[in-house]
Amino acid sequence: MKTNRRNFIKVSALAGGGFMMAISTPGAAALSRMLNNGQAELNNFLTIDADGNIVFKLTKHEMGQGSGTGLPMILADELGADWNRVSLVRSPFDPKFTSREMGTTGGSSTIAKMWDVLRTAGATAREMLKETAAARWQVDASTLQVANSEVINPATNERLSFGDLAEDAAKMTVPENPPLKKVDEFVYIGKPVKNLITKDVTRGKANYGINVEVEGMVYASIEKCPVYKGTLRDYDDTEARKVNGVIDIIAVPQMTGAVEDHFVQAGVAVIAKNTWSAIKARKRLRINWDYDTAGASLTELELRLTQKAEETEEAIFERGDYEGLKSDEGNEVFRATYDNPYQAHALMEPINATAHYTDDRCEVWVGTQSGERVSNEIIKLTDLPLDKIKVNVCNSGGSFGRRFYADSTMEAVFLSKELSLPVKVTWTREDEIEHDYFHPYQKSIFEAVISPQKEVLGWHSSITRTENYHSGSQQWEIPYYFPNVRTYFEFEPSIVHTGAWRSVAEHSSSLGRESFIDELAGKLDKDPLQFRLDLMSHEIEKIGTDSFADRVYSYETMLNSRFKEVLETVKSKGWYAKSSVPGKGVGLAVENFGATVCAHVAEVTIDNSTYNGFKVDRVRSVVHCGTVVNPHFGIGQIEGSIIFALSALQYGGVEIDGGRIKRSNFHDNRLVRMDETPEMEVHFVPSEEPPSGLGEPGTPPLAPAILNALYDATGVRVRKIPVLKKDLNVFQTTV
Amino acid sequence: MASFQLLVNGQNHSVDVDPDTPLLWVLRDELKLHGTKYGCGIAQCGACTVHIDGLPIRACCFPIGKLAGKNVTTIEGLSESGDHPVQLAWQEIDVPQCGYCQTGQIMTAAALLDRNPSPSEEDINRAMKGNLCRCGTYPRIKKAINEAAKTRIS
Repeated sequence: MKTNRRNFIKVSALAGGGFMMAISTPGAAALSRMLNNGQAELNNFLTIDADGNIVFKLTKHEMGQGSGTGLPMILADELGADWNRVSLVRSPFDPKFTSREMGTTGGSSTIAKMWDVLRTAGATAREMLKETAAARWQVDASTLQVANSEVINPATNERLSFGDLAEDAAKMTVPENPPLKKVDEFVYIGKPVKNLITKDVTRGKANYGINVEVEGMVYASIEKCPVYKGTLRDYDDTEARKVNGVIDIIAVPQMTGAVEDHFVQAGVAVIAKNTWSAIKARKRLRINWDYDTAGASLTELELRLTQKAEETEEAIFERGDYEGLKSDEGNEVFRATYDNPYQAHALMEPINATAHYTDDRCEVWVGTQSGERVSNEIIKLTDLPLDKIKVNVCNSGGSFGRRFYADSTMEAVFLSKELSLPVKVTWTREDEIEHDYFHPYQKSIFEAVISPQKEVLGWHSSITRTENYHSGSQQWEIPYYFPNVRTYFEFEPSIVHTGAWRSVAEHSSSLGRESFIDELAGKLDKDPLQFRLDLMSHEIEKIGTDSFADRVYSYETMLNSRFKEVLETVKSKGWYAKSSVPGKGVGLAVENFGATVCAHVAEVTIDNSTYNGFKVDRVRSVVHCGTVVNPHFGIGQIEGSIIFALSALQYGGVEIDGGRIKRSNFHDNRLVRMDETPEMEVHFVPSEEPPSGLGEPGTPPLAPAILNALYDATGVRVRKIPVLKKDLNVFQTTV
Repeated sequence: MASFQLLVNGQNHSVDVDPDTPLLWVLRDELKLHGTKYGCGIAQCGACTVHIDGLPIRACCFPIGKLAGKNVTTIEGLSESGDHPVQLAWQEIDVPQCGYCQTGQIMTAAALLDRNPSPSEEDINRAMKGNLCRCGTYPRIKKAINEAAKTRIS
């Protein structure tokens, strides 16, 4: 086995002749408690066999974001591979990889995190293949070229294929610093390479967790307690057991995960010979639950969120003397409150998991964003060691944060252990909506102090949310500069289960901030685009002297430059101007998600014939995400984010009554359909910087862009979503 | 439980299920034809769309007991080698993101083009609005339908 000095890359011979590369990102955490030296064991990341077949091990989850094509594209490009010879094998969860390669797929970080790893891996293999050819031809490797899975000697036009070279290449020294391609040498990166799943999808051959078949498998459907954290008192299954195909009916206890946010509602599981029998029998169960619904209404929750915002004392970020300004005579204080409610994921592929537990091992098949979390839950439930557990990570029919949680795996493993049979748990659509890990509820109070000269002197925000992550209140989360700032964040426990939902905290916080900026521009009679740019023209200040301060400073500097570039592009394209046509409106909003910055310009028409009282005609977007690895996918992610966020704006929120979710399926949890899809145009700011992610950044600025457009059209300021006809106040005579 | 004969993709099958069992679950659990997807169970999303005697039908709400004498086509039988004009157009435009809803989209689109070879934008919207896509691939679906219409005519 050959390794480079830092043990980042190991190369060994492939059984049967060929080249096998294992990787381990330096500095990334080891995933296994058993493999705690922080360095990879011999994992299989890339193989080239004697026939020239290149197999890339997909260590990330494919859930529609394109990781299964984008990642091998980067590797194949650096390698100089013929794309048609590259195939993909999905790796089960494997702790021989580090957290970078095998850790959570989420936060729009996959391409960004793997960019260097894949390029270095590809370049390393390419150089080893080149050295092998050079040795055979007795020439200097630096004179050789690599393309289409061949090493070429331009002097003689001789060629050797990767397959011919693979076995000997595995014996070469692993280079320390293989040269990376220059941008103009990219063959696949930046091109609309087709999705590797497309052909299978069109033939009905694409596989998802819900399609898993295991020999001897039984099917489970679970009736869960309708109120969050309620428990099972008793049940009568006499009628349910009469349904043909029913094998057994067993109680599922409330389960708390090894990881705190993995929680399984108490329920009663019907086990049957097929899915339909299980679903049918479930409806005949008579169950009594115990639960407490005190305070579990949206009205009471909103009240608590407001109270918490008022009572908060410790500022997250402070600059200048905000409170002092408020008492200065002549200054005007302007305040507005925004609501961003619970939202359901509504994944097309309902939640599911299949488990097969035997006395000494457990195998699971599930679409998951975190095989590590799934593995930890299995360890907790079974007491098996990690090496007796196999987690097969299936492709998913959408995830958007939902499959980060391991709840369905916990159910399947519990049932398989009880029954000593392989069990597939399939949630119904109703389960998926009623027992979602909802996007959290957030209330945002914004306040500004305006001088008699119409300058914004101070900025205040007070955010309360039912999830305790990213505050939306840090210095680096406010792209605008004000001389006096004071921000607060408070957490208030949720009344329903909450979790990650496409773009997570940014979607919650963007609505208030980007609406409030628009309101301020309106009050000061300024153009909302120029107003934003003016508030970004400041020098970034470095607060503190430690390495954290350095990181914040460089992050803010980078963001500030991207924000300005994005807005300048909107301006130069002439995409944003307030509407001069009655009943039509144009709105702008901009937000970053990580290092990616996205601006949307939304155009709306007031239309009483529609469900919401308006329709969105067009959304044009400018995005800065560094290198766009695959523009077809990139545009698709932004368009998809727009439609995703538009569903939340038109039909979102979740009604709750007595602790129960009052939505159950697509008739009441409506989603945007083809006939409501706006015209869309996406522009990427040209960049040679490393890619910074595209799965989520299109989501946050959509709602405020539309709220701002609706204000432009009607003069009515809506400060929440969903926007209903009655919120617009313009149809009073006709509605 | 009763025995039912059914004709799917030109092949005869016999299954033992309750007569109220939706065709969807017969296809998926009994015949192991997984291309037809479960999405909602109440004919709201179109993920389970198949052709019954050439018409696009939501298999999740079609009980097996009412299927006698009818001819079912699923995505697996839309063409022999995956080269139906709609399938090819889907590949050409590279429509899917997660791909889960796409088999239902393709079946609805194929049925649309069978009865209306050159649909207007409004015709496409009307035919396709029963099929949900959470990834938001609608613009590409529309493009692919136009592409398929072109190739079918030429």
